[in-house]
Amino acid sequence: MNEKKVRVLMSKPGIDGHWRGGIVVSRALRDAGMELIFGGFQNVQQIVEAAIQEDVDVIGLSIHSGAHFAYTQDVIDLLKEKGVFEDIMILLGGVIPAKDFPKLREMGVANVYGPGTITKDIVDFIRTNVKK
Amino acid sequence: MFDKNYLEKVRQEKEKWEKLYENLKERDVKFVTDSEIPIKNLYTPLDLKDKDYMNDINFPGMAPYTRGVYPSMYRGRLWTMRLFSGHGTPEETNKRWKFLYENGETGFSAAVDALTFNGIDPTNPDGAPEVGTSGVPLYCIDSLFALTEDIPIDKISVALVVEPFTSAPVCAMYFNMAKIRGYDISKLMGTTQNDILTMTVGYIPYKNCPPNHILRLACDFIEWTVPMKNVPRWHPINFTGYNYREGGIDAVQELGFVFASACSHIDNLIERGWKVDDFVGRLAFHLAAHKDFFEEIAKFRAARRIWYKLMKKYDAKDPKNFGFRFHVQTAGSSLTAQLPKVNIVRTAIQALEANLGGCQSLHTNSYDEAICLPSEEAALVALRTQQVISDESRIHNTIDPLAGSYFVEWLTDEIEEKVWKYMDKIQKVGSIDKALSTGFLYKEMRDAFHKRRMRIENNEEIMLGVNKYPVPYDDVTDVFRTNKEAIAIEVERINKLKARRDNAKLEKILDKLRNVCEKEENVMPIVMDATKEGATVGEICDIYREVWGIWEPPLAI
Repeated sequence: MNEKKVRVLMSKPGIDGHWRGGIVVSRALRDAGMELIFGGFQNVQQIVEAAIQEDVDVIGLSIHSGAHFAYTQDVIDLLKEKGVFEDIMILLGGVIPAKDFPKLREMGVANVYGPGTITKDIVDFIRTNVKK
Repeated sequence: MFDKNYLEKVRQEKEKWEKLYENLKERDVKFVTDSEIPIKNLYTPLDLKDKDYMNDINFPGMAPYTRGVYPSMYRGRLWTMRLFSGHGTPEETNKRWKFLYENGETGFSAAVDALTFNGIDPTNPDGAPEVGTSGVPLYCIDSLFALTEDIPIDKISVALVVEPFTSAPVCAMYFNMAKIRGYDISKLMGTTQNDILTMTVGYIPYKNCPPNHILRLACDFIEWTVPMKNVPRWHPINFTGYNYREGGIDAVQELGFVFASACSHIDNLIERGWKVDDFVGRLAFHLAAHKDFFEEIAKFRAARRIWYKLMKKYDAKDPKNFGFRFHVQTAGSSLTAQLPKVNIVRTAIQALEANLGGCQSLHTNSYDEAICLPSEEAALVALRTQQVISDESRIHNTIDPLAGSYFVEWLTDEIEEKVWKYMDKIQKVGSIDKALSTGFLYKEMRDAFHKRRMRIENNEEIMLGVNKYPVPYDDVTDVFRTNKEAIAIEVERINKLKARRDNAKLEKILDKLRNVCEKEENVMPIVMDATKEGATVGEICDIYREVWGIWEPPLAI
């Protein structure tokens, strides 16, 4: 099989240090055979630059600070500005109220994962929906 | 504790009983503790055969303190009900604190935001959207005045939950505020978390300095407050196993991390020329009360005994210094966003562990914490949970009621033995800053994350609503939102301060701080001067960064 591996950038926008979620999901995606680039703390410019340079299929944003609307909107705006928004799937995970999911999807996030997510669901979603 | 002949009789009778039991089927589950200690179906005097009451258990307030640090324990004084609390702005947090105080809270604890933790001012674009979203912003001395307005800080103790990178500036702001208000800081009571592991493996640090400098900053603060007697009644450090335990390590590892870290701090202060008895009596601890009821109780009991033995090793002389005093927080990671009201039950059980384990202070989580910062209603339920135990349950009629339980005493021994071994494993890597910089602790955390995930996803660890009787993640509780105006309010606060202060004078003080950092002298005296003159937390931390550099932690996936 020469199928290209799905490439994922896992990033933590902002300065909040809750790191377990991002690591756990990264490990699960890697175990599922995806190419994982762990960006750690990155500001919006760094996220978008890394995503373009690394030619990723998916950007995973891990946000536990309550500031998910602000950071996500900034990432989406810059991806649009660079003309790559259509090529990259954005997934969001963290302590995010379910009430916020519809608005985040409207903004352009492909899916949102809150507390209690089973990592297999994320793997399945990426496999089914990533643009190849 | 038992006569040999009597034990022989018990052994014979037990054999008979086991024969009766032989063909009975047990449920198909692993009978192990959360830290994977295998548990027998029954404990008897045979499991305590080598124990000596006076040496191993003894009376409360007497070595080895297994039954509690004070002779009267809760018959003398109840634990402090201290809810970790902070959001939006210092004014809003002050309002919440007063609400909890009026409802019976007996200690305060400031939960700060990510900028305060990392020494970033709100004028820095890096973290601006996070002002006040995960705690109270405390960026300058004015914030401390607003936080404590109309609160009798000479009568009620305040815990400032900041870590070594920012503990000097934030606490200096607090002490300066208290002085200006007319309080004698040598009588102030309170705690600074000041825990090196919280902002390294508990959370990852954002633009903090290398661990050897962080360790020194923690020890600077301990040295200046206690042995130098500036704030001698303060608890200058609270070794916070809670935060890394929440990452997924087990009860044994939690104590291993905590004691290995405590030893490194003690060693540092001894190197500075202090005697153990000059400071250890004020070192405090903050542990988790997690899901495994008896294991957690045994952990608290074992911790007291280990600390006593460590103090003997360090040749501490004053018995007042042998007591392991600790705050407990119920386990946030045990809570679910699914069916959040079930969290009230989880928290109540965990609070009971803390009380049966003899804690000095307790935070109970709010039922909405898997989703948002606590709403006022949820925080009140959390406080009432402690009060149900204190005022309605009568569990405090006698001290350490579980002592003498064959099982609890046996498990206390097991935990103790395993903790010594695990501590040894960490200490073989070196002092706690080396255990960080070599990546050892990051690998331990990574393995714990992975193991915990596998356990939950394989249904070996049950989370109701998630992997058993699952329900969709849907908010069934109101979501508490922090103040969206917080950023504008805090930038305005800083701007006002900067307009008012004597910038030339401050520059000179900051130059001195640069010099002190280069020479690796104690930063506290100069940080006291700087914050009094209006230096912000970000300005102080920028000097640390400039002199010592920024550290990238060796994260492991």
